[in-house]
Amino acid sequence: MTTPFPLGWRVESQPETLGLAQCPRGRITEIIGQPSSGRTSLLHSILADATGQGEFAVIVDSTDSFDPCSAAAAGADLQKIQWIRCAKNVEHAMRAADLVLHSGGFGVVALDLADAPERGLQRIPATTWFRWRRAIEPTPTILAVITRRPLARSCSALVVEMTRRRADFDGNLLRAAEFEITPRKPLGKERTALRVRLHPSA
Amino acid sequence: MFACIHLPDAPQLAESFSPFVEMVDEHTAVFSITPRQLEQIQKIPGAAIAETVEAAIIAARNPGRTLAELPIDVLPPDPEIFEIFDLWGIRTLADLANLPPNGLAERLGPRGVELQQLARGALHRPLKPAPLKILQEQQIELDYAITNLEPLLFLINRFLVDLCPRIEAAAALHFTFNKEPRTLRLPFPTRDVKFLLKLVQHDLESHPLSEPPQKIKLIVEPTAPRRVQHGLFTPSAPEPEKLELTLAKIRALVGEKNVKIPELRNSYRPGWSLPDSPLAFRYFRPPVPARVETENGVPRKLFGGKIVSLAGPWRSSGEWWRPDQWNRDEWDLKLADGALFRIFRTASHWFLEGCYD
Repeated sequence: MTTPFPLGWRVESQPETLGLAQCPRGRITEIIGQPSSGRTSLLHSILADATGQGEFAVIVDSTDSFDPCSAAAAGADLQKIQWIRCAKNVEHAMRAADLVLHSGGFGVVALDLADAPERGLQRIPATTWFRWRRAIEPTPTILAVITRRPLARSCSALVVEMTRRRADFDGNLLRAAEFEITPRKPLGKERTALRVRLHPSA
Repeated sequence: MFACIHLPDAPQLAESFSPFVEMVDEHTAVFSITPRQLEQIQKIPGAAIAETVEAAIIAARNPGRTLAELPIDVLPPDPEIFEIFDLWGIRTLADLANLPPNGLAERLGPRGVELQQLARGALHRPLKPAPLKILQEQQIELDYAITNLEPLLFLINRFLVDLCPRIEAAAALHFTFNKEPRTLRLPFPTRDVKFLLKLVQHDLESHPLSEPPQKIKLIVEPTAPRRVQHGLFTPSAPEPEKLELTLAKIRALVGEKNVKIPELRNSYRPGWSLPDSPLAFRYFRPPVPARVETENGVPRKLFGGKIVSLAGPWRSSGEWWRPDQWNRDEWDLKLADGALFRIFRTASHWFLEGCYD
């Protein structure tokens, strides 16, 4: 079996700090933040890295919000992505993610709970995250969860918080946006802000 | 030794001699024969026997004459070489066959040598029979209708256990429950009974039968087995059997149309074309009716929130001949709290399409 490379994300500035922002294999990574904070852009870049390396990925889309066009523009190979739409049903999303994680073989399993209703999120049993942590531990799968607030608590190995910086408008086009990635877990000296700027031609 | 039949009912005649038949065209079938079959084949008008496949085909298409007598035009057309033959005065296959092979190879290359071997009836090539299309089937008619899934699966399992060892792999399972036909196309060739039974179970659970079956028929469509070359350094991928079962379970949970591989379409329709920016967009499906306050036609407030930056309008329309045509003005905007949205206006209404994230 080959040793899979950790996945990172493309940044324009400070590439030397990329190492601290890598998703650990066989662990849960949480990407948290408010709407328009760059969570989905970061997820697309993880998907682009994974599919670029020939791995297969799954998007469990709890609110039918995935945009294949912008994922493809970010470099993701759509042929290697399985898209599961759950029509705003968090319970279905969790069940689908559970089946996918236990099936195995995927490089990235992305669980999109970014716009999921708060009531549905509160109903997720804490044991789910423990089970998933155990299920992916011996595998090279990355479980990337995007939410508004941390959900997996102690079960996640990496939590990054995304915040909005600025957006560049030019004439009749939105040209670029700038976000900030702040690792919230693990804590320590690596807790450094990282700026990501997305260009139309990037 | 090969025989070729050139008749309208060639396929049926050929299959009465051999199961391995190569169909050259609709009315020409070639197959290998044993010495015992010689006498029977010679009685068929339009049949020819030769040492090689190609010679048998040429002879069957030109009955009543030997190869040597046939004109050069019976060979596969090659205008450039045939023009040279014409200049050399080569008119029949005998003329071509008598040419010195070395000289021909020097002047016309390997294609010339190949044509000469064809003319001599000495071009050897293996027979390419069509794959066998054998339908394997089992059926049962019970005294009573089966109302539960478990006994039905028990019967289907018996069918599969009986049929699967007879084939190399199955491409599809064709069921008939009473008079209700149902086909289960397999994502990859397999004859794993456990896997097939699980697939049938998920299919029956997600699409229940209209009435309890009393008469059950199963036809297994055979196909060639899959051959996969694994690489040492290729990343791990989901096992096809496991993946298909998982997807079948998920389809039963969220619906058939909600599990798919995303694809881009060749259209300018909003949401279908590739954007310039890798900036991710999140759709609100369906778009949310929006309350927008405007000033001289330019949006100033969205749901009462002040718009601080604005880009647009980006006018888009198309496919006017279809009922789902679109004609709208799009705006990208930033609210005071920093959220980036895309709104659009149709003839009379504003909608919130999604947010940049």
